[in-house]
Amino acid sequence: MTLSSPNPKVTSSNTWNFEYPQTSHSLSCMTKRSSKYSRLRSWKLQYCLRRTLRAAANDYFSLLINLSIHALKLNIAAARPESFPPSPPFSLEMLEDILREKPLEADGIDSVVVVDNVPQVGPERLEKLKNVIHKIFSKFGKITTEFYPDADGLTKGYVCCSHSGPRGVKNADGYKLDKQHTFRVNLFTDFDKYMTISDEWETPEKQPFKDFGNMRHWIEDPDCRDHYSVIYESGERTAIFSNDAKEPIVAEERARWTETYVRWSPKGTYLATFHQRGIALWGGEKFKQIQRFSHQGVSLIDFSPCERYAVTFSPLMDTKEDPQAIIIWDILTGQKKRGFHCESSAHWPIFKWSHDGKFFARMTPDTLSIYETPFGRFDKNRHVCIYRDFSWSPGDNIIAFWVPEDKDIPARVTLMQLPSRLEIRVRNLFNVVDCKLHWQRNGDYLCVKVDRTPKGTQGVVTNFEIFRMREKQVPVDVVEMKEGIIAFAWEPNGSKFAVLHGEPPRISVSFYDVKNNGKIALMKMYDKQQANSIFWSPQGQFLVLAGLRSMNGALTFVDTSDCTMMNIAEHYMASDVEWDPTGRYVVTSVSWWSHKVDNAYWLWTFQGRLLQKNNKDRFCQLLWRPRPTTLLGVEEIKVIKKDLKKYSKIFEQKDRLSQSKASKELVDKRRTMMEEYHSYRETTQQMYQEQKSARLELRGGVDTDELDSNVDDWEEETIEFFINEEIIPIGDL
Amino acid sequence: MSGHERSITQIKYNREGDLLFSVAKDTIYRLLSYTLGSLTCLLSGDTKNVLTGSADNSCRLWDCQTGKQLALFNTNSAVRTCGFDFSGNIIMFSTDKQMGYQCFLNFFDLRDPQQIEDNQPYQTIPCTDHKITSAVWGPLGEFVNAGHENGEINQFSAKSGEILNKAKEHTKHINDMQTSVDLTMFVTASKDNTAKLFDSTSLNHIKTFKTERPVNSAAISPIMDHVVMGGGQEAMEVTTTSTRIGKFEARFFHAAYEEEFGRVKGHFGPINCVAFHPDGKSYSSGGEDGYVRIHHFDPHYFDFELEA
Repeated sequence: MTLSSPNPKVTSSNTWNFEYPQTSHSLSCMTKRSSKYSRLRSWKLQYCLRRTLRAAANDYFSLLINLSIHALKLNIAAARPESFPPSPPFSLEMLEDILREKPLEADGIDSVVVVDNVPQVGPERLEKLKNVIHKIFSKFGKITTEFYPDADGLTKGYVCCSHSGPRGVKNADGYKLDKQHTFRVNLFTDFDKYMTISDEWETPEKQPFKDFGNMRHWIEDPDCRDHYSVIYESGERTAIFSNDAKEPIVAEERARWTETYVRWSPKGTYLATFHQRGIALWGGEKFKQIQRFSHQGVSLIDFSPCERYAVTFSPLMDTKEDPQAIIIWDILTGQKKRGFHCESSAHWPIFKWSHDGKFFARMTPDTLSIYETPFGRFDKNRHVCIYRDFSWSPGDNIIAFWVPEDKDIPARVTLMQLPSRLEIRVRNLFNVVDCKLHWQRNGDYLCVKVDRTPKGTQGVVTNFEIFRMREKQVPVDVVEMKEGIIAFAWEPNGSKFAVLHGEPPRISVSFYDVKNNGKIALMKMYDKQQANSIFWSPQGQFLVLAGLRSMNGALTFVDTSDCTMMNIAEHYMASDVEWDPTGRYVVTSVSWWSHKVDNAYWLWTFQGRLLQKNNKDRFCQLLWRPRPTTLLGVEEIKVIKKDLKKYSKIFEQKDRLSQSKASKELVDKRRTMMEEYHSYRETTQQMYQEQKSARLELRGGVDTDELDSNVDDWEEETIEFFINEEIIPIGDL
Repeated sequence: MSGHERSITQIKYNREGDLLFSVAKDTIYRLLSYTLGSLTCLLSGDTKNVLTGSADNSCRLWDCQTGKQLALFNTNSAVRTCGFDFSGNIIMFSTDKQMGYQCFLNFFDLRDPQQIEDNQPYQTIPCTDHKITSAVWGPLGEFVNAGHENGEINQFSAKSGEILNKAKEHTKHINDMQTSVDLTMFVTASKDNTAKLFDSTSLNHIKTFKTERPVNSAAISPIMDHVVMGGGQEAMEVTTTSTRIGKFEARFFHAAYEEEFGRVKGHFGPINCVAFHPDGKSYSSGGEDGYVRIHHFDPHYFDFELEA
């Protein structure tokens, strides 16, 4: 996803950075300004807010009111530029209006700074000190008022001044005037803030533990049904269904649950819904609200893989002082951990998390910043060179990034281990146009798709550089591709990858296997494919090739163990393909967001057998609820695989039982429907018979109830047509 | 069968089923020459007279055998629906909300020549909110069930003009209403992609048949518990999409189970109207493509039964 407006307009809401007006005004200046009522108000407002001393402001204010009354009474319309509308007649209500904006004590002190460690001087050297101070502070902004408190003829050694850039002037903190005097600069408001803090340490009150019930309730389903969320009626309704081969079972359904779309957290614990005012997280058995993040205009969310943190993005509220475009939240406490600016338009997620949520990183054109969790300890790694793309290994704390060519220095793909920052592999590449980093889900392999323009040839050549991460020194193998690449995908937990290549309409699919000895073998290639996307089953082995959207929704189900096409099907105009987390089912769907008619989602088995067609009015989005990683070890899984036959017998029996039960249910349902219908028909038939006399009367005694009731009146006409006769000689036989 | 140059708006069998009337937006009326587009037609119970309503702001009564015009009722706006009551003596027709005129439901007694002469109905019911888009007589000619453009169904008494019953089951425009042979039930076809079965007298909702496309017409089989529905993507949208997704099929539903059991393809535009032959052995459909298709059922249609 690309961020639509990454650089929102900076608006200041709580600081006053206006220019100061002159402290002395001539009457003519006053009257000119007051000639327009609204102008006067805005000017006055600005002025008032800038005043730092309350008493003086109050005096000035009353003078101002007097002046404005005077000016209006004089009716100096002639002095007014012609473009101004006539000033409204003056009344007491208006005065009230002005008085309401009378400055308060707290107004304007935001801009006051206090400078300590200023030399103590007598009145004779005060002028000189003022000059020095002015000189120093004019570097950071403009000093507008200053105040040198004195006692017994000496200044007290600190200065109060109001400054045009109160935050910028903080930089003068620690300025060394001479050996004895090092300035300490503090905001006036900070004094207030720190004065009110109690000296005694108060242990924070223990928050009562909120029990949300079993957060993984859905995993305990006896029939191992998976959940999925469905948004339909153009976003009006959101429902969670329990998937079943026969028909989905509603787990929860709500109207206007979200304002845009929903997201599951990576382990499926939370469902995030989007609202104008922020994000809500739902979970537990009954989908109660668990957490809220208040982020105005939020449009994107990302979770850390450990489900500890959430990152949200809003194109709205961002200020220079208070970064709020991107916020990182602690999911358990709901606390805002840190805000970030969003400087450049980039692809979401801007922050990428390492597989265990320990590190996260972002890239700007010339820096790669890596942060460490838990918060408070930030480790920024800045390398000044141009970064193009980076990606975390999904299996280890290894980050891969690539840097384009710079004059004589070749392009580089670097693998760096964290937290040691050890570069475990660097690969130099020449004539590189673009690189794409593809990790296998376990982090066993990394494929870098390199587009190059070698010297002496025309056009772009694509190579796959395969990094074998589990071997010593990370050996790299190269696969050359002669055609353009449409899609690439690793088998999630295996060593195979599938590539779609060619130029439409001649598209081929190739399956490769990375052997143990490092040889990359082409297993099979099929040409004339109708596909533009590859969807691997999360368990590997099976995949779906889909021609989404413009390719009319052609689907091919492939078993890569022997590279056979199990089924070829079509879901017309399909826009999405989603595997369930167990790899048992696939859903293809036509979203209302991309296509306005036939919005539906279809459920298929992994073999490509269509199980259900679920038509939902203005269906928008279907998302499977992810499952947490299995608690079983490798050995235990092996044992289960070995005893699969034993289990499959049990499951088959269960399936048969439920099937016969289902068909019985259906028959029962039909029977009751039929009975109801018949009983209804009987009552109407009875009534119909009762009304027979009335009907006869209405039609003048002619019975028209039966088709042949007055067959005597019928006249039979026989019409004969001559239908063309043709004689065709058949030749010799 | 093609007899029209423009889209078919309604088809109708006579009671014996030996005549089929079709109405189209062109100037040809299958049996009679006619001006402008006819919107609707209904036959009196004994097939002597034909009543047609048209967008030329008139409702006309014809002699079926000679094609002679017997009576002309001028109106202020297009005639949307018309019909004979059971006795064939009283006719009703409704007019569109158009050109500043509101929608009226008019009743004429054909036995009183004065009413025809003066063009003055004995009963007029104004409908201010939502115009009538479809209407059928109830059994014994006591009331008219009218479907409105907002999906409402109202039962108007033919004598007093009062609203006797109300039902609001559809969410959109009701395109068509057709009664069962015994007039005890009627089926509505609506733009909200459903057809629904109602009791004529109580307006109780009995069944719902769901599809993915607007339903333009629905009819009840006289001999089986079946309902046929025709529709498809709206004519306006068809040009922008592929014909494959238009779904211009006649679809058969079981009336009791609300389940679809068959489809008949053939039209290359939306189906505007469907009608069963009175003997239930064939049906016809008229499409936006200008064709009337008459289908005879295969023998196994009559044996077919869903497992129950």
